[in-house]
Amino acid sequence: MTISTAAAGTKTPLIPPSTHRYAEVIHRLEAGGSMLPDTPENLQQIIGIYKAYAVPMDFYWRDLLYIAEQVFLNPLPAFKYFISQEYLDRPNSYAGDQSQLRIWRGTEKAHPELLEFMERGETRRMPKLLHHLWHDRVNMEFAEACMQAMLWHQGMGGRFNDYLASDAYKANADRAIKAYFRGNPLMLGLYKLFPDMILEQVKQLSYTANLGLFWEVMAPVFFEMSDLYDEGKLTSVPQAMDFLVNGIFAVAGRPIYHHVFIRGECFEIIPKSEGFTWLYEAALPYVEAVFYRTSPFRGTKSYNAQAGQVPDDQADFHYGILYADVFPVGSAGIPPTLLMQDMLHFLPPYLQETYRQHKRGEEDQLIQLGITFQRSMYNVTSAVIQALRCALLYPLDDTDPEHLLANRRFFEAQMDRFLRPEARLPDVQHQDYR
Amino acid sequence: MANIIETAKGAGCFGTLLTAVEVAGLTGALEGPGPFTVFAPVDDAFVALPPGTVQTLVDNPPQLGRILKFHVLSGAYSREVLVTQPEWESLEGAPVAIRRADPFEVKNATVVSADIVCDNGIVHVIDRVILPG
Repeated sequence: MTISTAAAGTKTPLIPPSTHRYAEVIHRLEAGGSMLPDTPENLQQIIGIYKAYAVPMDFYWRDLLYIAEQVFLNPLPAFKYFISQEYLDRPNSYAGDQSQLRIWRGTEKAHPELLEFMERGETRRMPKLLHHLWHDRVNMEFAEACMQAMLWHQGMGGRFNDYLASDAYKANADRAIKAYFRGNPLMLGLYKLFPDMILEQVKQLSYTANLGLFWEVMAPVFFEMSDLYDEGKLTSVPQAMDFLVNGIFAVAGRPIYHHVFIRGECFEIIPKSEGFTWLYEAALPYVEAVFYRTSPFRGTKSYNAQAGQVPDDQADFHYGILYADVFPVGSAGIPPTLLMQDMLHFLPPYLQETYRQHKRGEEDQLIQLGITFQRSMYNVTSAVIQALRCALLYPLDDTDPEHLLANRRFFEAQMDRFLRPEARLPDVQHQDYR
Repeated sequence: MANIIETAKGAGCFGTLLTAVEVAGLTGALEGPGPFTVFAPVDDAFVALPPGTVQTLVDNPPQLGRILKFHVLSGAYSREVLVTQPEWESLEGAPVAIRRADPFEVKNATVVSADIVCDNGIVHVIDRVILPG
């Protein structure tokens, strides 16, 4: 994939400056930049964390598809994180020689660092079951929390959620449910008594497939960015953002579907022919549900909904990474910490060195890498914003003032979401926020 | 008079669009009685998309078909009629916004040639591929 440098670098005098509180950021976006300032350290931090994120993500997407396609409605899914060899070897559609659109130059099978970690963990080589019980493993709970955020927030654009309520979906799910529980009168009886309960589980599994297909793309994108950076071919934050923008467009039309394999037979619960796409049915809902909204994490803070401490409207939820106060949410066992723990295992040496030099060194590196992750997700969100501007509005070097004003209104509306006090946009403008 | 497909073939600047319509299996529909209003992007509009975008869609006909259907309205509407309301429902289901009457703009595309009347509808030539959202 090529890196676009098309974004204009010149300021236009055709429209007056913005008076928004984040005018500086808006002008940077209008000049083809990112919400994250273009500094060598920001570039190093975000690329390093993309690499550290991509390795566990390589497990997440494989296991999410394994759960959605193979484990399916197993009532006691104790081994759902024990991914099969077939899914570890499943060729990534965007890496390896067999890929039609090769994003990462590397292997199509599970990443070597992932396989090594699965073998040894933090402790030492031992049977898989012991690693699992000792919790010395990839934290799939984080991936499932993201999936549940998408399921719970639901209607965030795209047609996916509407389809889950359609008769066609119910009929497809019904066929798969009956096939899966064939010869199991207890579960078939339960399905007859409480059909919606089982159907709801299938819907959750459809979101599981959706997120797996979404992340199957992002892992090779991040690996390739890391390789390009190591070769000195990614030299600025806007370049990193442009790579993401190009990636978003390149795979925008990828089908989002949910197939289930029961005794060797494929059941198409959401067929590819429905026309669902990676951009509209997966990426945009994911960003909205996970980066912006999510939900308050249990055990980190007490919220009084009656006192208005939790928004009435789900669209106003603001517990995602773009708003997170990384220190208090750094409690063990909640999803962001699980991800931080996962990324800790795969940090490139230059990032380990950075964390050793600042704050409490290794003792608080989970917090430091959490804040790095926050910076990196402001860059990913910038890429989404620029991709939407590119798809729905006008080029940055357009010469029609009406078009530039439309771009301005779009950027300002996006920045309005960061006016609430919890937003970390002002913090990531400074390098000493660690 | 020629139908929409014949008109596009005759114009010589819709090679990519015609290929895409063929791959998505929509040629027959656009040769049918309609009538339709088609916002037809020129070849350069597809070239302007980032690398890989068109190929991924061509590899996946249902997804390609969805994007193409966003460029088609049911019924034949001239520019004069289109500018009378801000949005029109596309065959894809999402609304197509008419942003400006002069110059005539459909979503973020500019109509470079309007009101090409065909047997089974009206074609408006646009300079960008338009996307739902």
